[in-house]
Amino acid sequence: MKEWRLLIHGAGDAFTNMAIDESLLVSGRPTVRLYRWRPSAISIGYFQGIEEEVNLEECKRHGVDVVRRISGGGAVFHDEHGEITYSLVAPEEMLPKNILESCDKICSSIAGGLGHLGVNAEFSPLNDIVVNGRKISGSAQTRRHGNVLQHGTILIDPDIELMFSLLNVSEKKIEDKGIDRASKRVTCLKDETKKVGENEVINALVSGFEEGFGMHLAAGEMEEDEIMRIDGLREKYASREWNFKR
Amino acid sequence: MQAGNGISKGELKVRGGKLVKCTLSLKGGKIESVKFTGDFFMYPEEKIEELEKMLEGIECTEEKIRATAAPFFGSIDLMGASVDDFIAVISIAVKNLKGT
Repeated sequence: MKEWRLLIHGAGDAFTNMAIDESLLVSGRPTVRLYRWRPSAISIGYFQGIEEEVNLEECKRHGVDVVRRISGGGAVFHDEHGEITYSLVAPEEMLPKNILESCDKICSSIAGGLGHLGVNAEFSPLNDIVVNGRKISGSAQTRRHGNVLQHGTILIDPDIELMFSLLNVSEKKIEDKGIDRASKRVTCLKDETKKVGENEVINALVSGFEEGFGMHLAAGEMEEDEIMRIDGLREKYASREWNFKR
Repeated sequence: MQAGNGISKGELKVRGGKLVKCTLSLKGGKIESVKFTGDFFMYPEEKIEELEKMLEGIECTEEKIRATAAPFFGSIDLMGASVDDFIAVISIAVKNLKGT
């Protein structure tokens, strides 16, 4: 059976988290990384306007960092206490060439993992995982250097009220979803299952990836080259030039 | 789509897809600058800056924009939006400008 590397990283700040994901993308070693964010942070998609999407004043007031990702997609609130983030890195040839199909494979693996917690989750194109139509996970994928990086959030017990006070959700965004409030579109593990301990969630996700990809995840460490790149990349992610480019 | 001068914004929710927004600056009926934002996916991502540069200085008509944008989109992957959506959102910005 193929062996992939598993990195369990605990909590890091927004800029370091994004620097690590990009460094792993450069190296392309088949990896699943699970991590949290401290302090809480908002990550915005590559194409998003920071001031359009984020209430920067509220973020400052709550000590919430804001970082632009290298991947597209939407803004995500990474609650220090109520969310876990995954990233998956692999050479392109190890995933379906079609981006949507590869997103399906990764998200369906995660959904399978959530099934171990008794949650009936499924992939919802383009990039969500839903439970009874409500979003429990959102992901974004980028491809560079012949490698794929997909990262995403899995909501465990986020402060939904805080989340929506920090994000400027466009009314247009939900106008074709048949609901009147963005917060009603969202669910979390705590609302769906009693199994929400960090280790339970991690074990479920690991099983989901292993079953979905037919591989074994072996706990590992970052390599020297991957560690060496972090400081430079962190500087980019912490810079105003990068975060306010749109 | 026919326009004069000014700065305007457009926003479009693609049915079953993503949000595409633009901030458009027009001078003498030509695009002075345009910036696309939103939660769509484009690969490679940095190409968006190339598209925005390519559109600078061209006449703000659907025909001219399509002639510039269509070949660009031929070489990139888009998810959650289409070439037509990028053209349409400029059109919406132009309409919003007229409405002011």
